[in-house]
Amino acid sequence: MSVGMTTNAVFSVAKDEWRYWVRSKIAVSVLIIGLLLTISSVIVTLANMHELSHQRSSMQNNAEETFVDQPDRHPHRMVHYGHYAFRVPSPLSILDPGVDAYTGNSIFLEGHRQNSAMFADQKQGTGLTSLGSLSPAFVVQVLAPLLLILIAYSSMSREKESQTLSFILSQGTSIYALILGKGLALLSVVGLILVPLAIAGMYAVTQGESGIVVVGFLLAYFFYLLVWALIVLLFSSLFSKNSESFTALAFVWILLCIAMPRIASTTAATVSPSSGKLETDFAVLAELRTLGDGHNANDPAFAKLKASLLEKYNVDKVEDLPVNFRGMVASASEEELTHVLNRFAEQSMQDELAQTQISRYFGWLSPMVAIRSLSMISAGSSIETHHRFLREAEELRYSFVQSLNKVHVEQLSYIDDINRSKGEEAWKKARVSADNWQMIQDFTFETDAAETRLNRSIPSFLQLALWLGILAFGIRLAGRQSL
Amino acid sequence: MMYSIAQIKREWQFMLSQRYVLALLLCGLLVSVFSVVTGISEVNQQRATIERLKAADEIDRAEAQEKYDDPGSLAYYTFHLTYASPSNLAFAALGERDIYPWKHRVRMLALEGQIYESDAQNPELAQIGKIDFVFVISALSPLIIILLFHDLVASERNNGRYDFIVSTAKSSFALWGARSAVRFISLYVCFMLPFVVGAVISDTAFIDVLLVSFMCFAYFIFWTLLSLWFGRHSSSAPKIASSLIGIWVLFAFVLPILGDIAINKHIESPDGGDILLVQREAVNDAWDLSIDTTMASFLAEHPEYDYYEELQSGGFNWWWYYAFQQVGDQTAGSLSVQYRHASVAKYESAKYVSWLSPPLLLQRSMTRIADTDAKAAFEYENQIREFHKALRMFYYPELFSSDTFDKNKLESMPQFK
Repeated sequence: MSVGMTTNAVFSVAKDEWRYWVRSKIAVSVLIIGLLLTISSVIVTLANMHELSHQRSSMQNNAEETFVDQPDRHPHRMVHYGHYAFRVPSPLSILDPGVDAYTGNSIFLEGHRQNSAMFADQKQGTGLTSLGSLSPAFVVQVLAPLLLILIAYSSMSREKESQTLSFILSQGTSIYALILGKGLALLSVVGLILVPLAIAGMYAVTQGESGIVVVGFLLAYFFYLLVWALIVLLFSSLFSKNSESFTALAFVWILLCIAMPRIASTTAATVSPSSGKLETDFAVLAELRTLGDGHNANDPAFAKLKASLLEKYNVDKVEDLPVNFRGMVASASEEELTHVLNRFAEQSMQDELAQTQISRYFGWLSPMVAIRSLSMISAGSSIETHHRFLREAEELRYSFVQSLNKVHVEQLSYIDDINRSKGEEAWKKARVSADNWQMIQDFTFETDAAETRLNRSIPSFLQLALWLGILAFGIRLAGRQSL
Repeated sequence: MMYSIAQIKREWQFMLSQRYVLALLLCGLLVSVFSVVTGISEVNQQRATIERLKAADEIDRAEAQEKYDDPGSLAYYTFHLTYASPSNLAFAALGERDIYPWKHRVRMLALEGQIYESDAQNPELAQIGKIDFVFVISALSPLIIILLFHDLVASERNNGRYDFIVSTAKSSFALWGARSAVRFISLYVCFMLPFVVGAVISDTAFIDVLLVSFMCFAYFIFWTLLSLWFGRHSSSAPKIASSLIGIWVLFAFVLPILGDIAINKHIESPDGGDILLVQREAVNDAWDLSIDTTMASFLAEHPEYDYYEELQSGGFNWWWYYAFQQVGDQTAGSLSVQYRHASVAKYESAKYVSWLSPPLLLQRSMTRIADTDAKAAFEYENQIREFHKALRMFYYPELFSSDTFDKNKLESMPQFK
């Protein structure tokens, strides 16, 4: 048989399959419902994330403006006045909002402290979306496989049950052409489901998302749905009764899409419990006590700093220094303290990541877990991106605090500074010009670079590839068996 | 009677010979065991964490109390642990405890600046949720029930035994009833047995176990009857199962999601960030305002301290510092109340939606009994607010006093719980 004939046979099988779906009506209505769900999830999530993005950028600008608008003050007052950082969602969050609603999206930044992100949207939720939300990611990851099952569970078993298989084979269509044809028909359904995602993906590109990431994202979903198309074909070929094929597929769906993701997260939390911020704070506190209090320039912890400064400028007392000693102390202690805080923060992020990693290993057992991780990682809505936000917010915090300390060192005289509590006049004198507040940096949170995200998603791609390989092999075996 | 028992015996034998029924039952049992075991482990972890925190908190406070002597510094440097312990039923319904915090450390500074700090769990795990017993029952058990009951009639028809069986049985009810009863009881036992064992281990109140068992029973009956009704005569088993799974999708996802969108559209809430912003501006501005301005706002709540002028010294006054902390809370107060009302209103409105969705209704009811729902989290927040208030009431008289502080009084300081 020539290649051309085989191709023709495959296409005609696919065409027949479509004809059967249209005739049976159930398949068509399931498909229409599925598409409507996908499209509405794309529209709703897009509108939602767009609004959030807008809201948070404007709040960020607002925070910057109020900071700059503060009157003349003692620079250390501004260290405690503080600043805000907001996490603007990544462009691809319109397809997979990921952890966005589950982590706080704003951080209050101030001197001597690392605050946690506050106001997670989920905390003001209805509790109704605990089983699933109307995000394109959820719809395609969980409901689309069910849709493929409902449409095609009988694609092969039907031919056996009604004993048309031997007839078709005797007509000269090979078993593989038959399976390929049915697969092709199913593939066209996969294509239809992906259309709304692809359109939203293109929109994300116009919003500044990298094209390669969007292509990778769509490709991942294509592989995922392909895995499910193959699962459906395999089970349909293995069973000779429609009802058996359906029951088996429904069971596999329950196991892989509903049970496994939660088994993964529960296992991760049980095997590798995280200590939580409150508990780490005690350890941080204990270590910080060994450092000096930056508000108290007489703290013995700063004696060394004092000695070295006196020697450097060749003077006898701190009053004679050309720099403000209190500012130097504030700056030095902020540096040391930040060092400690960062070490603990880094550790707890690593712990959290290790915990997440355990749940991601379940991608070898369930393609749903694989695509879930892959999708969030590519979209920039995974835990890594949130950690990136925490790190960048910390950088912003440290830089504005130290800039203020620099102003404290250079622009405020030590004498004015120590006399600040001696009456109204002295209180007013211990200030610096509000022009200094201009040093606050514009903060715009951006997702990890395309390359970083692609690299991170490799393990999940491998998981999907393994699934594809095993299933293709399984179908070959099943095809041989059916002969 | 004898006939019925014989019938049930026969159906029991028949079920034991059906491998796929046994496989489904085994899956139900395994997943239920998994959820109960991990649930107990989670609750134990939470309790252990609270114990460790309590110990660390006490040491930390003792150190601070050792170091400082004046009430102002004592109030500034001592933190207080607050917590909400998991109930004895929490192992079966972990609820919203991975979203709302159940531990907090507060001190006497403006509360609005502290209370939104959250010590949440891993967000990527929280997003997908945990597999607790409630989830197993509300989401998974209906699917297993559908697979077990949709084809009672259809499978026999398919096997060609239908006419034979119907003609030999004394009544169709005796036949299908016995078969359904055997499957139902086996399934119920498989799902509930791990829960009961877990409840005994966790020392759960008997009435709670009874209540949960009854709710699960009713829930099982609902799905079983629905499956039987759908499958009562159609001959295509997959079509029946498709419709049933469609209904499940409707109940578990579609209706709740639509309800969620409607509620969020309907209920307005101030932005959380604004509360913090207002509070911060108020507290920071106070440094530049005259003492009298701040005290005027403070006295509106606490007129008993109108003698503050006698205490005024040239330098820094702690009572003034704490007064403007409270004024910060007062300024943000109405926003904060609106925010909390919106949270409660959203959760309460969701009740009506859950009446349309049996899985959500079961989840809400069980997390309520287990005290792990959003309501429990709101209550905990109120407890923190009460405690903060008690703390202020303890310190204010000392701060607004010219006498030296008697440190023995610390023993009567309010304790959380």
